[in-house]
Amino acid sequence: MTIQLNIYRFNPENDSKPYMQYYEVAISKKGMKLLDALNDIKWNMDGTLTFRRSCGEGVCGSDGMNINGVNGLACITPVEGLKQPIQLRPLPSMNVIRDLVVDTTHFFDQYRQIKPWLQAYTPTPEHERLQSPEERVELDGAYECIMCGCCTTSCPSWWWNGDRFMGPAVLLQADRWLKDSRDEAAGERLDQLEDAFKLYRCHQIMNCMEACPKELNPTQAINHIKRMLLNRQS
Amino acid sequence: MVKYGKDLGAAHSGLSDWYLQRVSAVILALLLPWVFVLLWVLALDGLSQQALFALLDSLAVRIAHTLLILALTIHAYIGLKVMIEDYVHTGMRVLLMGMVMVGMGLFAIWWLSLIWAWGG
Repeated sequence: MTIQLNIYRFNPENDSKPYMQYYEVAISKKGMKLLDALNDIKWNMDGTLTFRRSCGEGVCGSDGMNINGVNGLACITPVEGLKQPIQLRPLPSMNVIRDLVVDTTHFFDQYRQIKPWLQAYTPTPEHERLQSPEERVELDGAYECIMCGCCTTSCPSWWWNGDRFMGPAVLLQADRWLKDSRDEAAGERLDQLEDAFKLYRCHQIMNCMEACPKELNPTQAINHIKRMLLNRQS
Repeated sequence: MVKYGKDLGAAHSGLSDWYLQRVSAVILALLLPWVFVLLWVLALDGLSQQALFALLDSLAVRIAHTLLILALTIHAYIGLKVMIEDYVHTGMRVLLMGMVMVGMGLFAIWWLSLIWAWGG
């Protein structure tokens, strides 16, 4: 039993334009994942195929790619059930460095803009800043985000205005810090987001929710930020 | 293609657009169906011209009519503005938004004058 793949190839040093390359890989085990197939190609057939991967279990967020037209993580996507030949492309709307590797500089720069760390101004307690179990539950659905970029690169608003629109992943993270009971910079955070382009480009297309490999809902998080801004003003 | 640029901070805009778009949508949802009901009644010959004018001239209908036109122009203006913000990326953006604003403003003034100045 084999699976067929069509993989996007582009090496800017040699290729004038990208092309799709066909591979056939043997199914090596039950429950084989797409990353297993890519590793097989890389290690046994074609060492020039380039992709990012690290943990192999959907935690590091390295191997986000476009799989048959939908963004996802290769390491947790079973090959079984995918329409063949499987079309593998880099994440949309990011500059390709080589093959399936994209330039995430701007994506992480936007992440840095929302200051994704705890900001507290009250004196540091002797031991730690405590959080009740109820307050901790507030972070469910946000802390699981691994910043793989699958949602942001599936968002048409980010395609058209990604230079300014923060995108679903970063806004989900922004909401995670707005919801954190220990964080004391909610006002500054809202100030920084209140912008027709940074936040309000979201038109609830919901591609982000469809794409998220961790089954999170960035649209809901963005709506929560909008409600917080409304409540602050009214 | 993503362009890289300086972060110029937040413009503190967007919230009022977002809020007005929703408020005007609610007003339109409540009032716009009555326009079609009226057109339907007229098409069925259920109302004479005199009765129609009398209806449109009543204070309650004038106020509802005004609300409808305001909600319609605000809703249309913000909707077009959002589309221009989404898809127009050159200096044309500001010009187009200005043109839409002036056009919608003129439309509202003209229609409101029909409701209030030249009635019976």
